[in-house]
Amino acid sequence: MATLTVPTSAGTTEPGLLKSRAAGKLLLLGLVAAVLAPWAASQWPGAAWPHELTVSLAKPLASASNWVIDNRDSHPLFLYFFGYISNAVVLSVRAVYLTLLAAGWTGVTVLGALVAWRVAGVRLAAGTAVALLSCGALGMWVPTMQTLALMVVAVLASVLVGALLGLAAGLSDRLNRALRPVLDTMQVLPAFAYLLPVVLVFGIGVPAAVLATVVYAAPPMARLTALGLRGADPEVLEAVESLGATRRQRLLTARIPLARGELLLGLNQTIMMALSMAVIASVIGAGGLGDRVYQALASVDVGAALAAGIPIVLLAIVLDRVTAAAGAGAGATGEPRTRAIGWPYALAVTVAAALAARLLGRLDWPAGWTLNIAEPVNRAVDWMTGHLYSGVPVVGGTADWAGHFTTWVLDPVRSGLLWLPWWSVLLIVAALAWSIGTWRTALTAVLAMAAIGVLGVWGPALDTLSQVLAAVAVTLVLGFATGIAAARSDRVERALRPVLDVFQTMPQFVYLIPVVALFGVGRAPAVAAAVVYALPAVVRITAQGLRQVDPAALESARSLGATGRQQLWQVQLPLARRSLLLALNQGVVLVLAVVIIGGLVGGGALGYNVAFGLAQGDLATGLVAGAAIVCLGLMLDRVTQPTERRAKKGA
Amino acid sequence: MGTAIQTPVQTPVFSVSGLWKVFGSKPERVPSDPELSALDPADLRARTGCTAAVRDVSFDVRKGEVFVVMGLSGSGKSTLVRCLTRLIEPTAGSIAIDGEDVRAMDKSRLRELRRHRAAMVFQHFGLLPHRSVLDNVAYGLEIQGVGKAERRERAAEVVAKVGLEGMEHRRPAQLSGGQRQRVGLARALAVDPEVLLFDEPFSALDPLIRRDMQDEVARLHREEGRTMVFITHDLAEALKLGDRIALMRDGKVVQLGTPEEIVGSPADDYVREFVREVPREQVMTVRTAMKPGACKGSEHPGALRPDAVVADAIKTVAGLGGPACVVEDDRCLGVVDHKRLLAVVAGVPAPRTAPEGV
Repeated sequence: MATLTVPTSAGTTEPGLLKSRAAGKLLLLGLVAAVLAPWAASQWPGAAWPHELTVSLAKPLASASNWVIDNRDSHPLFLYFFGYISNAVVLSVRAVYLTLLAAGWTGVTVLGALVAWRVAGVRLAAGTAVALLSCGALGMWVPTMQTLALMVVAVLASVLVGALLGLAAGLSDRLNRALRPVLDTMQVLPAFAYLLPVVLVFGIGVPAAVLATVVYAAPPMARLTALGLRGADPEVLEAVESLGATRRQRLLTARIPLARGELLLGLNQTIMMALSMAVIASVIGAGGLGDRVYQALASVDVGAALAAGIPIVLLAIVLDRVTAAAGAGAGATGEPRTRAIGWPYALAVTVAAALAARLLGRLDWPAGWTLNIAEPVNRAVDWMTGHLYSGVPVVGGTADWAGHFTTWVLDPVRSGLLWLPWWSVLLIVAALAWSIGTWRTALTAVLAMAAIGVLGVWGPALDTLSQVLAAVAVTLVLGFATGIAAARSDRVERALRPVLDVFQTMPQFVYLIPVVALFGVGRAPAVAAAVVYALPAVVRITAQGLRQVDPAALESARSLGATGRQQLWQVQLPLARRSLLLALNQGVVLVLAVVIIGGLVGGGALGYNVAFGLAQGDLATGLVAGAAIVCLGLMLDRVTQPTERRAKKGA
Repeated sequence: MGTAIQTPVQTPVFSVSGLWKVFGSKPERVPSDPELSALDPADLRARTGCTAAVRDVSFDVRKGEVFVVMGLSGSGKSTLVRCLTRLIEPTAGSIAIDGEDVRAMDKSRLRELRRHRAAMVFQHFGLLPHRSVLDNVAYGLEIQGVGKAERRERAAEVVAKVGLEGMEHRRPAQLSGGQRQRVGLARALAVDPEVLLFDEPFSALDPLIRRDMQDEVARLHREEGRTMVFITHDLAEALKLGDRIALMRDGKVVQLGTPEEIVGSPADDYVREFVREVPREQVMTVRTAMKPGACKGSEHPGALRPDAVVADAIKTVAGLGGPACVVEDDRCLGVVDHKRLLAVVAGVPAPRTAPEGV
């Protein structure tokens, strides 16, 4: 009995201990602050980051970028390493692009449909064909093929790199420990932060775009490969070992096949991230659909942006559904899939279709079949501008809303943040990070925030932060409310599911189009795009978390006569705390990504610095802003990510 | 089963002596230090942070017998069976298979042992979900490098032997628990091992299916006479299948003997408590119950075999209305009457009075 009572008493005292531990942390932090804050305040008075503590990187970065530009054609590092990479990328993208063009729109459509049929069934095959034909009908066949060619090369490279890293991390504990934090961090950084370093080395163009895409899209593949290899049922592996398998046999016949679900999920995520990045990379010369959207947004031509945006959305949905279906079909359950058609047969049909089109002289998309939606859309937008922007009785107009949001929410939050003394901002960051994590996470967060000040972009970073805070607040209010509704009613959930599915697959860039149409340019539309982008994930995680609450706990609450409201507040929400925190974390990460991109539509701040740096060839400004974005992302992630004490043990 | 050929001169299949498995940091200090090795589990954990899963265990597994290791969860029995083929590396002690030192084997020799000499059946089956039944059964042969046609042919034979004909092309997920364990059993049988190791193979199954599978194992043992080491936490299963049983507690073997010895003369209070509810008439034999000494007559009423269980003897005695003889090779070994049989069932010493009459 003695052994039994010990854990029980420890179990009951634990919450008390935890609470006192959190209080202890804050007390300690308060002590440190009481000593350091007056000293810091007297040493460097004023709210903004003290100028003496900044390190200007503009000169070294500018000279570095000049050095790269001067030596790009002569230095052996470029000639024999980056040059080869660059050439290989250009050649392979070009080869894929020419192949796609040679296949013609008939060939590509037939091939797409057959592949979808083979891996995902008839309905998705029809959907794929319709999506591809719509791209043509919108007059976007050639840009679509450009984007596809870039995607094919980038996805192949990402999968290769990701799978190799994942294999290494899956098989070696030491590599896993080294790679995991890096991959985890890469996962939370905004896409925009990746652009400048590759531009520094490769210059603006297709190689930079492809490599930025690979760097952005490979981590999920690596993470999921490692996860799949590590998550294999230990008893199966033991059984395999008990039969005398060698390491190689165990890997090839058991671990990799057992990880098939994760591998295909990794492929799916990599493809979706690659598409998202391939579109954003238009700002560094990717060409294709993203470039069309980018150009159109720059001249606030919503119609043209929509004509290029719709193919992006269609591509995203088709790619996601087909790869997801392939993953689901590969599950261990069920019969081996009946082969609808064989690969050689599919290839033969494709070649036949391409040849037929060539013989008929219909290789290019027929000019007469193009639907020009830009003009009618622009007319509609003009009408909206005229009638809905402002002066609508009672509700006001969209531009009024945007203006009010800016003056009543964004401006006060921004000036509030700027009013706070810099050391108190650091203190708040430390307190938040330490109270839900370890001293390590708190230290990372504080150092990241301090680095922003040292980089000399304290002001713009706080501007970005104010937009993030406002967007996160709106996202959480809407997301939690919708998530709770979806968790409590099956009907709401059924109605929401297809909407969430579509919204979660769309690349970030696309969200800018409708908000520009509705609100014009500025900070409010950037925040609106961020809210729309982050909302589906928050809703989904909230609803899932609430639904996964132990039904026995709910049942016992109901048997005690708890009302619906009491069940929600006293049982469901407390038990779903982890999910709610995860929703917050995801919300922050996603909001930041889009707020940064919002720099392209007048969001200003760090995102604007990056875009400005790229547009003016002023890489130093852009790189500093990019580094600040990385720091901001790191800080926001650490502040919202609860770290478990025993996290080390888990896989 | 009780029909195993017991020839003590033969080399035992497995010979284990002084085996230790300690989990924790610097585990080797525990077995070598007499003070530490004498500690009980809680004290050992408090002193060193180590857990001794197997403590100084010794036994021999004889050829052709079913050797059952039985104990509650946490008693170290699963660790013990994994030590036999070094799926878990033992900390100290010696293991020999057919006289060959297992702990001294190098990687390839050990692999050879696992491929050909000892195959294991697991509690949760350990099947490969992406392979068909046939390919799962053939997996051990594939590992050995047997060609596809031959291994499939051999696998098909074994699949038939465990009663899974017609299911060769299903996936494990499409089978019931009992069928899955038949696949696990077939996979182990397919490599034609010298010893079968079972790690609680039927604990995850429904009671009825479990009985079927026990009968299946008993049948296989009757037909093939293969040596088996069987781990279980179910006393009834141990008594039903085991020729000899090693009862484990806290990593130690507390008693090793035939089912009858364990039920009839428990070594300590723990074992006594364990076997208290066992229906003794189903385990004890008339050899124990009888009063030794030949009867005077030549009729031999009842004519019970000495290894008949008491329950059968009760039927015979009740039918006769008087004492029955215990006969082996036409020779009368002794006599049982209702008093002696009742004494066995009640677990009290036999009455001193000699059986009357006959």
